[in-house]
Amino acid sequence: MSQIELRDVAIEYRKPKSDESFVAIRGINLSIDKGSFVTIVGSSGCGKSTLLLAIAGLIPRARGSIRVDGRDVAGPGRDRAMVFQEASLLPWRSVHGNVRFGLELQRWSRDNVDQRVAHFIGMVGLGQFADYHPHQLSGGMRQRVNIARALAVDPDVLLLDEPFAALDAQTREVMGNELLHIWEHDKKTALFVTHAIDEAIFLGDKVVVMGKDPGRIKDVVEIDLPRPRTTAMLDSAAFVAYRRTLRDYIAADMQSLQMIEDAA
Amino acid sequence: MTRWFENHQALLSGCISFAVIVLVWQLTVDLGLVKAFFISSPSLVAVEFWRQLMSGELSTNVAVSLSEFACGLGLALVVGTGLGVLASWSRTLEYILEPFIWLGYAFPIIAIYPLFIAWLGLGEPTIIAIAFIFAVTPLYANTLSGIKNADADLIRAARSFGARRRDLFLKIALPGSVPILVAGLRLAVGRALTGVVAGELFGAAAGLGYSIAYYGDKLKTTAMMVSMVLVMIFGVILTQLLSLLEAATDSWRTGPGRS
Repeated sequence: MSQIELRDVAIEYRKPKSDESFVAIRGINLSIDKGSFVTIVGSSGCGKSTLLLAIAGLIPRARGSIRVDGRDVAGPGRDRAMVFQEASLLPWRSVHGNVRFGLELQRWSRDNVDQRVAHFIGMVGLGQFADYHPHQLSGGMRQRVNIARALAVDPDVLLLDEPFAALDAQTREVMGNELLHIWEHDKKTALFVTHAIDEAIFLGDKVVVMGKDPGRIKDVVEIDLPRPRTTAMLDSAAFVAYRRTLRDYIAADMQSLQMIEDAA
Repeated sequence: MTRWFENHQALLSGCISFAVIVLVWQLTVDLGLVKAFFISSPSLVAVEFWRQLMSGELSTNVAVSLSEFACGLGLALVVGTGLGVLASWSRTLEYILEPFIWLGYAFPIIAIYPLFIAWLGLGEPTIIAIAFIFAVTPLYANTLSGIKNADADLIRAARSFGARRRDLFLKIALPGSVPILVAGLRLAVGRALTGVVAGELFGAAAGLGYSIAYYGDKLKTTAMMVSMVLVMIFGVILTQLLSLLEAATDSWRTGPGRS
């Protein structure tokens, strides 16, 4: 059963200091099943983050409809929680205080809140660091806090906007594995934006490939790899084939960009 | 032991250079290079300090100056931060106040002193008003910029969790602007002290600035210097206290603490 339904979604940005607008994405149709892990991949500027922010209710759309569990998205809501690329943590709050932040904003009852916060800090492996402040943590640890903050508010849908983009390759792989591990626990619907093809295949049940000018969906590739996923699969014949398919899509985008640059 | 020297190098060097200046000052007079009439001397100042302390003159001057300072700064703190918060909510108010901020920084405020005397009379109200005007500018400007420059990423993250306007102000903009607000307070302290002393120089019945002007007129260099030294000491103590406060409130960004 599909949980997120996008019908003919278009998003436009007003160009600075003019009345003209710029079409970021157009004609987006997508349905995402409850409990599935869907990744969105595309070269920079294809509007993949814009699409995610629109589902989060943080930016308005020019046209079309976005529904989550049948309800129209008119703004941020308790059914969705977002994990950002920049950890976006309050520097003056401890790890505990930061994970608590989302619960405070959603006006959760104070009973058991601290227990709940501690539970999710433990889940992302930061039990020893609850009293630390963000500046004392590594980039990977900060993103764990970011993820714990989103999980703590018990959303139906988890929206992740390139959460591992700023991390080094090794940390990134570890974080991907752990994210899947956490996800397999309660199978919340997850929508994960990335520009890394391997990451998109490794994590996703489906990979949504986006192209640009204007931002649109080129294809949705079903990833038929068994779960739990393991790093050994990265070298399997099936994985290599998916990688080639996706790379071709994105290379085509880069070539058209090259042609525009050559013409200019 | 060497560790101790390394940790306190700045303080130690400062003390040594200060001690050297005092020593050179004393020697210059003792050796007859410059007459005490022009620059007094540390030992003369110390004796005169004792005399003023015993006669009660010193405590009166200090009490008057400090109370004027506290009133001027307190008023500036309330009005400056209050207007700063209001201006962060209203663009119109910000634009209305902007020219006054330029003036506050660029205009030698002491030049309008005679006007204040005409309005408020000679004495405490005028001096408090001058100290207030000196101090209010950085308090207003720093409050406003602290709140306005709230981290856009944090605001977006908070909005994604359904934050309301009030949440954004109380949980992001306000706590985030504390360090810059305290930096503004440190500037304001120095400016308020300047305002008090300058105000007293021109017209007062008591106070450290008054004492400087009074003994200056009588060409009593040593007596005048006692008050000068006291003003210096207060300036240093107050700004140092504020530096400590600044470090404490900014520890989440720079310090090693994990409170």
